[in-house]
Amino acid sequence: MIITRRAVVQGLGFAVSLPLMPRLTRGQPADLITKPIPRSGEPMPVVGLGTWITFNVGDDPVLKDECAAVIAAFFEGGGRMIDSSPMYGSSQPTIGHGLRKLDYPERLFSAEKVWISDPAGGAAQIEASRGYWGVGKFDLVQVHNLVSWEEHLPALFDMKAAGQLRYVGITTSEGRRHREIERVMASQPIDFVQITYNVLDREPEDRILPLAREKGIAVIVNRPFRQGDLIRQFEDAPLPDWVAETGARNWAQFLLKFIISHPAVTCAIPATTRVDHVRENLDAARGTLPDETMRRRMVDYVEAL
Amino acid sequence: MSDWATYTLADFLMFSPRVYFRLIERYNQALWPLQLVFIAGALAVLVPAALHPSRVRIAVPSIFALAWGFCAWQFLWMRYASINWAMSYAAAAFFIQTGLLVLTALLAREPASVGGLRRYGGIGLAVFGLLAYPFIALLAGRSPASAETFGMMPDPTVATTLGAMLMVGRRTLWLLLPIPIIWCAYSGLTLWAMEDPGALAPFAVVVATLVFVAARR
Ligand SMILES: NC(=O)c1ccc[n+]([C@@H]2O[C@H](COP(=O)([O-])OP(=O)(O)OC[C@H]3O[C@@H](n4cnc5c(N)ncnc54)[C@H](OP(=O)(O)O)[C@@H]3O)[C@@H](O)[C@H]2O)c1
Repeated sequence: MIITRRAVVQGLGFAVSLPLMPRLTRGQPADLITKPIPRSGEPMPVVGLGTWITFNVGDDPVLKDECAAVIAAFFEGGGRMIDSSPMYGSSQPTIGHGLRKLDYPERLFSAEKVWISDPAGGAAQIEASRGYWGVGKFDLVQVHNLVSWEEHLPALFDMKAAGQLRYVGITTSEGRRHREIERVMASQPIDFVQITYNVLDREPEDRILPLAREKGIAVIVNRPFRQGDLIRQFEDAPLPDWVAETGARNWAQFLLKFIISHPAVTCAIPATTRVDHVRENLDAARGTLPDETMRRRMVDYVEAL
Repeated sequence: MSDWATYTLADFLMFSPRVYFRLIERYNQALWPLQLVFIAGALAVLVPAALHPSRVRIAVPSIFALAWGFCAWQFLWMRYASINWAMSYAAAAFFIQTGLLVLTALLAREPASVGGLRRYGGIGLAVFGLLAYPFIALLAGRSPASAETFGMMPDPTVATTLGAMLMVGRRTLWLLLPIPIIWCAYSGLTLWAMEDPGALAPFAVVVATLVFVAARR
């Protein structure tokens, strides 16, 4: 999908109109907080949608429709970025099913991956993924978990130059191979990097996030809830009342607001099977974001639990 | 720290328990009552085999070849592979096992003499795979529609086959062991990662098989 005038206007809508207008009702995309993709300035809502496990439902018609409802609620709530990978089983066809039902929302920002050790197979894999989604081209293709990145990246840069995709990125998770990620960030003209970062896993604050700012690389944060474990871990503890001023009403929003308030982070991509959860997650991109003082308080509070 | 040390068992699970067990339920419902046909067919061959091992040299491996082939094709390849890409490899392994069973049927000569423990252990394992396995779903607190039965699902097929092979005493037994044992380990770990109590069953099948194989008499 290419950037549309509507998307730009909607995205800019936040910055321009919010101070002047009363708070929009939920579901108005314009009231979602966005951050610019550094390379282009294109505004990106700070909460996206992951698809690992949650959308791998095979050909089960009931579950496919449940996922389609999550996708519908995601776009209705103003979301843009959906992240997937050929590694995620049937998640790609599930996304295609959901997008078809919505007649391919213009707002969609498709983030895919290439995940194959044989570099010669990269192009065919991306093409197969594109078929599953049913989109003309991907907005972003990332090298999944650094697999054969030395070979895949040049091929992706060529595709970008040829207009076959819009941005190139690389991913890792759970703190793996961060030194190598830094080397790629420092030496390759990538547009996006995807890593794990949350209120307990803060190692990226030391080097990766500052480097991303310096190099103008957009940052996607995966596993914001450690696959749900953080929410299960904290849910019995009281939510501190001082986060209410940011609009956070539950632990999911506490955790997301911490992540997306880091200046280098472009967006977080929580995954969910539930419509109420996708709405809750998008609501973390409403209200305000914690400032540095509150961020420190959030860390102290959580670490004391 | 090595990269591998950062992985947990759950990191390898690429689907939720709900999706997995619904897959089995829908498969069972689509093919009902084939489950009963498979069990009856296996009993029709195994009961005489238990009484007169030499009479059913060809029939025993044949029904198992059929069961392995069917479950590789219908379950692993057509269904499970849609949520777990590793299952295309598992299906290939099951087809290889099907071939080995056919080979065993063709090459069937006089069975090796089997000691009492191995023979009765084998009978026990086959009965477990055929008649007890379907109730594990209930014991694990799942819907009876997710019951695993011989010929339809890999685990009871593996258990029944191992039991039968021990019982009739194949000289080629060693050839038939690796794929079932690797499968049981994989299946047990998958169920374990899903925190399903049924995980104990495939592990128990491996342990029982190894004990009975080790028992020479
Ligand atoms: N190397 C890589 O490239 C890589 C690695 C890991 C992840 N990723 C990407 O990052 C995405 C996110 O990571 P993840 O899926 O591993 O974990 P996650 O987003 O941290 O957690 C997902 C879990 O959180 C639960 N959840 C979501 N919203 C919730 C809410 N509002 N309240 C309570 N529970 C909620 C979901 O359960 P419910 O279904 O019940 O809501 C789901 O089980 C992935 O889907 C994938 O796209 C990429």
